[in-house]
Amino acid sequence: MTAVVPSQKILRCWLLPALLLALCSVPLQPAHGQPVTQQAQKSAPHSIPADAAAAPRLRRPDEARLRELRSQRDFRYVEVKSEQGDLSAFFAPFWRWLADILDTPAGNFTWKYGFYAVLVAALVFAVLKIMQVDLTRAFGRAPRQAPLSFDTETEDLHALDLDKLLAQAETEHSYRLAVRLGYLQVLRQLSDKSLIRWQPDKTNHDYLYELPAGPLPEAFRELTRQFEYVWYGEQDDLTADDYERVRATRQAFQRRLTSSRQAA
Amino acid sequence: MESNFPNLPESSENPMPQASSASTQQTPVYPEAVPAETTPAFAPRTDLSHLSRHAEAIRQELGKVIVGQQALAELLLVALLADGHVLLEGVPGVAKTLTAKLLARTLSVPFSRLQFTPDLMPSDVLGTSVFRPNKAEFEFRPGPIFASVVLIDEINRAPAKTQSALFEVMEERQVTQDGTRYTMPTPFVVLATQNPIEQEGTYRLPEAQLDRFLFKLNVGYPSVEEEVSILQGHHTGFGGTPLEAVRAVVSADDLQQLREQVRRQHVEPKLLEYIARLVGQTRAHKGLYLGASPRASLALLNGSKALAALRGRDFVTPEDIQYLAPMVLRHRIQLTPEREMEGGTPDDVVKQILQQIEVPR
Repeated sequence: MTAVVPSQKILRCWLLPALLLALCSVPLQPAHGQPVTQQAQKSAPHSIPADAAAAPRLRRPDEARLRELRSQRDFRYVEVKSEQGDLSAFFAPFWRWLADILDTPAGNFTWKYGFYAVLVAALVFAVLKIMQVDLTRAFGRAPRQAPLSFDTETEDLHALDLDKLLAQAETEHSYRLAVRLGYLQVLRQLSDKSLIRWQPDKTNHDYLYELPAGPLPEAFRELTRQFEYVWYGEQDDLTADDYERVRATRQAFQRRLTSSRQAA
Repeated sequence: MESNFPNLPESSENPMPQASSASTQQTPVYPEAVPAETTPAFAPRTDLSHLSRHAEAIRQELGKVIVGQQALAELLLVALLADGHVLLEGVPGVAKTLTAKLLARTLSVPFSRLQFTPDLMPSDVLGTSVFRPNKAEFEFRPGPIFASVVLIDEINRAPAKTQSALFEVMEERQVTQDGTRYTMPTPFVVLATQNPIEQEGTYRLPEAQLDRFLFKLNVGYPSVEEEVSILQGHHTGFGGTPLEAVRAVVSADDLQQLREQVRRQHVEPKLLEYIARLVGQTRAHKGLYLGASPRASLALLNGSKALAALRGRDFVTPEDIQYLAPMVLRHRIQLTPEREMEGGTPDDVVKQILQQIEVPR
């Protein structure tokens, strides 16, 4: 309920009852001093005697009527104390401010079309959610994904210094590891030359399929076979001769790779 | 429900892995067997000729009656070698039951068949104790489950009560009745069939039971050439080759030896981690309500070892794991309602997971 301004309060308290009283006591007979027509004289059984007394008569409003009016809710101008809580009272200025803003032509416009805009946005959001569209990507954020329950360590093929690691493995006679590093080196070379598309989920045979027709697939197949027997087959007891054979195969492949690119 | 993922990839003598979506080129076949004299260090250290011979014999026997379905035959062999049960799902008339019956015939082991019906009781499967008046005692009469190869036809037609009776026997290879434990013979393999399209009068298998199947194989339709061959055989042979023509070529002891050989296959530690990551990812995937259990990891490991052996290798490669992952995982995972409403299938999710995990090398 809005607060009543004092001047308005006085106006409502006194002026309105007075006006009502005045309306109730409007005389039906002509005003004093006005000539009465013949018709009126004929119809009126008793004529009002001339006002001989000059002294005014004090009239008071009917007490019963006044009580009746006072008892009516509309005429009780008592400021009702707000029953809102602390939180509502805290936000009340904001709502008043918002009401003031919206109570303007621009505010009305905003309110009207803003409401429809919000409605449309909510509808679009609901449709997108039903269609399972990943909205997080639209805002440049990585999609939500539950993490794995354990840590995984992956190697970045292009970040490894394979030449150095390979030389170190050969020096230490870690032939099985050397076979693996040599194979990774070949994969990196193939990727660098755009002969394969490096992708972590691809298998060696996927890369084999990607190689262009020619001598390379055959040589790569043999290299892959050797790598798989040594690495996945856990051949830890690989001899120097065995490793030499693998290295020869690898180096032959690398030479062929270089020559085929040069020829191309 | 049809899936984009190949249910049963074409089998071949050479283990051609499925090309990824990025690779479409056809390349020469990868030879698995290399003459030992040329590269002695890069040949299998374990003699797998015994296993190959038996596997080939079974394939030949199956091929007497069944046209095509080589991939199905290979996967059934994998399950046999990995000591696992198989759930065959397919529309009527694609030789699910016939294949299972024929496989049982190729093994010289006791075979029994159970037709699951809605009124079947657990005692009809496991057996029951009957009173012998002459001895004044109860005697256990074993049910049809007591066999080495058990074919359960239309397994999803029996209610959960009867399905539950299979839990113990499928996992622990034993039946406990009236406080007495009865162990199953070795080998013990359950080959179950079910029809995916009928809803009336069928019951969805409990998750606990589905988890006990090593593979769920979706049996598809034959190709046009294969169907023509089926028709020709039927037409000229007046009914085709009789089942009696299929001989038992592998004994229980042979199978036990082959299984021992499979158990000794080499598995690189990073491949164990790869399996764990694949299965672990099913538990974290947002499209899945239920992920796969550690039993799925074991199934994938055992299956991969058997597949590698069948393909002439004494070690497992990532291709073996990738090849078997859909068959091992598809019945062990449950899609979220949202994913299901989108029309997704478990195979789609498995394929997605395979693309998310780096192949170890």
